[in-house]
Amino acid sequence: MPKILLVEDNEMNRDMLSRRLQRKGYSVISAHDGEQGHSMACSEMPDLILMDISLPLMNGWEVTRLLKSNESTRHIPIIVLTAHALVTDRERAFEAGCDDYDTKPVEFGRLSEKIDNLLTVRKS
Amino acid sequence: MILQNLSIKRKLTLITMLTSSAALVLSALSFLIYDLVSFRHLLIQDLRTQAEIIGYNSAGAMEFKDVSAATATLSALTAKEDVVSAGLYGRDNKLFAHYSRNKNLISQLLPANSQDKGYRFEGGYLQVFHDVTLNGERLGTLFLQSDMRQWSIRARRYAGILFIFVLVSGLFAFLVSSRLQRLISRPILHLEDTMRMVSANRNYEVRATKSYGDEIGKLIDGFNTMLSEIQQRDMALRGANDELKSRTGELEKEILHRRQTQEELLKAKHVAEEASRAKSTFLANMSHELRTPLNAIIGYSEMLEEEARESGKSDGVHDLRKIQSAGKHLLSLINDVLDLSKIEAGKMGLHLENFDLAPLIDEMATTLQPAAAKNGNTIRLHVAKNLGAMHADVTKVRQILFNLLSNACKFTDHGTISVNVDESRFEGRDWIRFRVTDTGIGITAKQKENLFLEFSQADASISRKYGGTGLGLAITYRFVQLMKGRISVESEPGKGATFTVYLPAQVVAETSESARSTANSELAPASDESKARKDTILVIDDDASVRDLMSRFLSKMGFHVVVAANGEEGVRIARQVRPLVITLDVVMPECDGWTVLKKLKNDSDLADIPVIMVTIVDNEAMALDLGASNYLIKPVDRDRLAVLIEKHRAGHPATITGAAAAPFISNPPQRRRESERRASGKVDHAEDLVSRR
Repeated sequence: MPKILLVEDNEMNRDMLSRRLQRKGYSVISAHDGEQGHSMACSEMPDLILMDISLPLMNGWEVTRLLKSNESTRHIPIIVLTAHALVTDRERAFEAGCDDYDTKPVEFGRLSEKIDNLLTVRKS
Repeated sequence: MILQNLSIKRKLTLITMLTSSAALVLSALSFLIYDLVSFRHLLIQDLRTQAEIIGYNSAGAMEFKDVSAATATLSALTAKEDVVSAGLYGRDNKLFAHYSRNKNLISQLLPANSQDKGYRFEGGYLQVFHDVTLNGERLGTLFLQSDMRQWSIRARRYAGILFIFVLVSGLFAFLVSSRLQRLISRPILHLEDTMRMVSANRNYEVRATKSYGDEIGKLIDGFNTMLSEIQQRDMALRGANDELKSRTGELEKEILHRRQTQEELLKAKHVAEEASRAKSTFLANMSHELRTPLNAIIGYSEMLEEEARESGKSDGVHDLRKIQSAGKHLLSLINDVLDLSKIEAGKMGLHLENFDLAPLIDEMATTLQPAAAKNGNTIRLHVAKNLGAMHADVTKVRQILFNLLSNACKFTDHGTISVNVDESRFEGRDWIRFRVTDTGIGITAKQKENLFLEFSQADASISRKYGGTGLGLAITYRFVQLMKGRISVESEPGKGATFTVYLPAQVVAETSESARSTANSELAPASDESKARKDTILVIDDDASVRDLMSRFLSKMGFHVVVAANGEEGVRIARQVRPLVITLDVVMPECDGWTVLKKLKNDSDLADIPVIMVTIVDNEAMALDLGASNYLIKPVDRDRLAVLIEKHRAGHPATITGAAAAPFISNPPQRRRESERRASGKVDHAEDLVSRR
């Protein structure tokens, strides 16, 4: 059962997304700020991270950069979720080392496709 | 010199005095001389007469040798004061008798030679010799000597008189002349005073008074005329000066006023810009804040729907779907608002990539099938077979099509919506044409005016009936503009409408900023291509070493360099890569530079690419005649080349708004209907632009 770390500060979104992911058959752990997200990623070693950008304490870019510069967590695919649908956000996401990018509100079908893709790529 | 510097008064007095005195002295002298000469003559006559008388009287005494009688005769001379001595000489020239006023001086007074006749002047004395005869016989000689005392006295008296006379007359002349000189000197001095006053006080109002009608009077007249002239001019000058001053004052005020206005405007501009920024930021934040709860609404309803379906509670599914659809509608509205605010803030970038059109069109048709079905409409697709890949922002192309199609679906009831997509070529580039035609309610000419403006649905009643914010077409228009395309509409109310969008097959990023951001994206080939169009220099030269040198140099400048070894190849590559600038050698085998240049300039597609001729052949005139932009002679001055290329880079159409400046174009002119041409100012303007091309 693939383990997904969901870093999201909005409680409702966190709850909704984690439940939908669980229904999809993933094991979901969640963090509500950047620092917690970082520490959980390091300790839990999830198979994939869904990362919100506007986070308290440490923003999503920061966490992503930290994880991608860490030898032990670099391999974990990260999908960035942002409410800002600006082209520059997309570029920043790839610059920061994200593996994929999606905008909020999440279109769940598209997101789960992206998750599947990244997990399959990693497996193969 | 001293005389020359004397005042005119003195000069005049002096001249009068000198003249009159000289005349006086001269006339007095001539009279005096005449008088003295005639007086002397008289004296001589007198003395000779005396001698004759005494000679006659003493002739007897001489005959008789009577010395005492002779002496007595001679002594009669005592009555004559000026006779100083006398003597009688015998035939033997011996002194016979003598007389002397001073007894001691006899011997000295007697002449050495008594033989002389007549008179003579000797030693200041007049001497007269007279023969003493008796009955025709000469007895001896009488000698008389006079000291001319009378003459001397007379001369001295005359001198005195003359002196006094000159003195008196001089004085008189002085008095007269010093009075009369004023006739001349006074007006001159007055004139001089006046002139001094004028020059010292700059007072041009004074006038010299004219006393007489002589030359000085005329001089004063002339001077006064001159003064009036000067006064007039001075006044005119002063007037002009005053006017100038007042005008300058007005101008300064005006400038000050304008500066203030400018500052106010600048402030207002800053305020407006600040407000605009604030608005954009607010909208961005707002949309973010709105999205987060929407995320939850849509997500939960989707989840519940899934759960309901799985658990077989199908009655709740329908309502949950309504929540979802309402949420998604709200989301699309928020997205529209965000898009517009991004466009307005200039933050809307282009994410250029290569994609195939046919699948995209199919996908759009599938997406909109439910919307079409809702009103009982049919969507028909006509996609040209030869349609290749497009290089553009696929999201925006999709949104453009989505907006046009959903509009068509919305405003058409049980009709047909056809989508035509084909490729055409004009203005030297390939264009993709999308035509969305419906058989719906159509658009009136009046409605067309504001069709592409934000928040302007054709009618307020429309928004009530059909819903929507009216942002769809505004965004569509802005997106088309962003990709340097054109959009137009043709419609007849009640019969439907046709929206036509032209997009360049190869969309070029607007700024180097966005070009770079494209390069950063995952689509490497696309970014390479867009780079090629912006920064590529084509070097056409048959000499490999020249190609090599130019490549290195231009690469260092940050250009992408492609080379061609001959003209044919050069033209072919130019067509492929559409470089920013072409450098072209003249002397080449087979196809020389001139021929290549002609080919390039005759190709409407390539004609606008600047060509820099690089050659050893000096024929600038020919190069420019054939349409070359610049001309360089080998060996090439690199700095000059760099400057030229930079100039072209700066002026490259990719960085300026070209065709996109026209809001939209209409269909080819022959298809235009008169009624449409009258439609609105905006449409007319666009059509004018098109027909002029």
